[in-house]
Amino acid sequence: MGYPEVLAEPGSKVLMLGNVAVARACLEYGVGLASGYPGTPSSEVVEALAYAASKLGYPYVEWSVNEKVAFEVAYGAAISGVPSVVSMKHVGLNVAADPFFSSAYTGVEASLLVISADDPGMWSSQNEQDNRWYGVHAYIPVVEPAGAQEAREAALEALRLSGEVRHPVLLRLVTRVSHTRAPVTVGALGRPRLRGVFKSIPSRWNLIPAHARRLREELLERWRRIEDLVSRSELNVAEGPRDSQVVVIGVGVGYRYAREALRRLKAQVRLVKVTTPVPLPSKFVLGEVEGRDSVLVVEEGDPVFETMIKTLLQEVGLNTRVYGKRSGHLRATGELRLEDVEGAIAQVLGLGYRRPELLEATVKPPPRPPVLCPGCPYRSVFYAVRRAVKRLGLDVVYSGDIGCYSLAVNKPFNAQDTLIEMGGSVGLANGMSHVLGGRVVIATIGDSTFYHAGIPGLINAVYNKAPMMVLVLDNGVTAMTGHQPHPGSGFNAMGGEARRIPVEDVARGVGVDSVYVAEAFNPRDVEAKALSALRDVGEGKISVVIARGPCILMAMSRARAESIPRPSYVVDSSRCRGCMVCYKAFNCPAITPSGDGKITINKTLCTGCGVCERICPFNAIKPASYIDERWWNLLGLTTSSVGGG
Amino acid sequence: MASSESFNILIAGVGGQGVLTLSRIIGEASLASGLNVLVAETHGLSQRGGAVVVHVRIGDVDSPLVPLGEADLMIGLELLEVIRNIGYMRRGGFIVADRLIIPPSIPDVKTPSLDNVIEALRGLDVRLTVIPASEVAEKLGDVRVANVYLLGQAISITKLGSIIGFDGVVKVLRGLPNPELNLKAFKLGYMGGGFEC
Repeated sequence: MGYPEVLAEPGSKVLMLGNVAVARACLEYGVGLASGYPGTPSSEVVEALAYAASKLGYPYVEWSVNEKVAFEVAYGAAISGVPSVVSMKHVGLNVAADPFFSSAYTGVEASLLVISADDPGMWSSQNEQDNRWYGVHAYIPVVEPAGAQEAREAALEALRLSGEVRHPVLLRLVTRVSHTRAPVTVGALGRPRLRGVFKSIPSRWNLIPAHARRLREELLERWRRIEDLVSRSELNVAEGPRDSQVVVIGVGVGYRYAREALRRLKAQVRLVKVTTPVPLPSKFVLGEVEGRDSVLVVEEGDPVFETMIKTLLQEVGLNTRVYGKRSGHLRATGELRLEDVEGAIAQVLGLGYRRPELLEATVKPPPRPPVLCPGCPYRSVFYAVRRAVKRLGLDVVYSGDIGCYSLAVNKPFNAQDTLIEMGGSVGLANGMSHVLGGRVVIATIGDSTFYHAGIPGLINAVYNKAPMMVLVLDNGVTAMTGHQPHPGSGFNAMGGEARRIPVEDVARGVGVDSVYVAEAFNPRDVEAKALSALRDVGEGKISVVIARGPCILMAMSRARAESIPRPSYVVDSSRCRGCMVCYKAFNCPAITPSGDGKITINKTLCTGCGVCERICPFNAIKPASYIDERWWNLLGLTTSSVGGG
Repeated sequence: MASSESFNILIAGVGGQGVLTLSRIIGEASLASGLNVLVAETHGLSQRGGAVVVHVRIGDVDSPLVPLGEADLMIGLELLEVIRNIGYMRRGGFIVADRLIIPPSIPDVKTPSLDNVIEALRGLDVRLTVIPASEVAEKLGDVRVANVYLLGQAISITKLGSIIGFDGVVKVLRGLPNPELNLKAFKLGYMGGGFEC
């Protein structure tokens, strides 16, 4: 996918996502290295930088194997004097937390910008954690922009601050900043610093206790200096009457909601915009709050700023009232909404506020959860594995993981009994295997997630002998977040060729004796290999089944690029007996009941994967046209496995 | 558009229908008209065949999301998604939607009929236009241009026409892959008022 806007002419105003505005700021600053692991809503930062690198020849950009490594990649470059940036989603910082905390002790030689894109509302995540706490916890300053234009400015300022105090800085984005497209005026591209020098200073780079104790003292001193700097930052500003008894503080995107809400309420109230919430810019905040009756804090996520400002007021002996999420004026879960902020401000000001009465339809829509795409190789895999489990009469636990295959949590697959965090499938399966007696545990994990955090769990299973079947769903890319490459893809972030590290080699290398590779689009092959693997588990082995087949979206775009025709499939209604296996058990979105008790295939949705033909018990589904053998090759199928096409 | 005015649009549909593309077209055309615009997109998990909704706010706006009850226009690429987001509509606001229902891919799900859905929408205080956009788009050769067909209709019957302008949209469409087909669908949608039900 292209991001031409990241290279817009200096001075021009272009529409871009907040994430792309951050990428632009990195190029303007002259960042020499960028790393990350994909995750919604963060992915476009590294994607846009990779796009820029493919055009400019710089900076160095990579998708790393996980967030911890990504952090270390950028950290290593920054202590070697190259301004660097690392990007991840909020939960990714949990994975990177170890080096993150240490980086505050050592500091850096050149800028280190850590980007965390938080997901309030949990649009695409397992939790709603507010990563500003990480800044408080680790003594790393947090910069939090209000929108796309501000994201450019904030990222630039964060890079400058990091370079000035030689300390990492956390840029906290949220979904509505990352994924809102808005006009952004850009500046000139900077000269990148691509080569660095590492100065050996053992007392600084070696965190042995004796050094770390001294470094902690230095850290606290640096923290006071940073607090002073952010108190004078031009990113924190105030507008409106100086004498209003109520002050509204909008932190990050909270400022946008507060500003529009005040305008709609026609309220003459002092509005403070805070872009550097951590450490609390105390002098600036006191200057705005002293002498007022009350303060309303509008912030996305937890009441981080609200809590800190209360502490500050207590310390200086002020009894200004502080309202926000702790006081119940704003909801403590989900995203901010303009009408909620308007209601909260009206409440504090004692104004009447009525929400409009909402329209309601007499017809209720059925739920529409996200589903595996038509032609997704994983549908075929889950269908086949469930059949194998049934044939052996096993009572299994599916220990699930994070990725497209998470969608098998829904009916009819019900093949994700747990879904916790990246790599959790294999890790949890270890514990279950030791305590569940006869129940077989199947850990289902995607290829990217396997490289990310699945391998240590697998080694643990071999070492500590925890029999399980690990089903690796291998579609060749990190599909859910937009098809970013990983160590199994054969190419890298900048589009260059890369050494492929096949999952089966890793599995054998760590001592798994029972390893099977199956064609994902061939359910018979998957079923046969799952049967063998499950029998191996019954004998106390650890078994790995790799079901390989490309993400259908990638296969379709390659077919388009290489002019390979895709087949479409039709139902022979004289043969269809309405058994509904294809609809109810296989559940392809392109297949629906036709009304006469049989089924029909939607030719717009049908991708031509052909799996329905292979699973139909009555040979009632047929291709509508001749099939080009290259299409089967694209899907990773051998001609013999599909019965000659 | 006066400097203190704003226009709120909701684009609702199913992942893969071109909801994001449509929102970008409106965003680009707004920017080209010198207007402030915010396009709050849906990415990641929800995109996979799930319900997708994009908020587009034009003019004197700061916050990215359309408040409930304040959408001036909803462009619906699918009618169940129109119903799902009906709470966003302002009374008397415009809905321009495809005459299309895509049943969710859940076995044994109960989906209301096209007639029931349209009847339910007709009973509400909104100005409803339901047109066979995907049918026309399919005849044109690509169902994916249903989105610009609907945009054409919305431009011709709502204030959006005077805000971003017919020519403004044409300019943006010229920059898309397959501009001829997109332009054709857009112009047909613009003129296709006769499909009103």
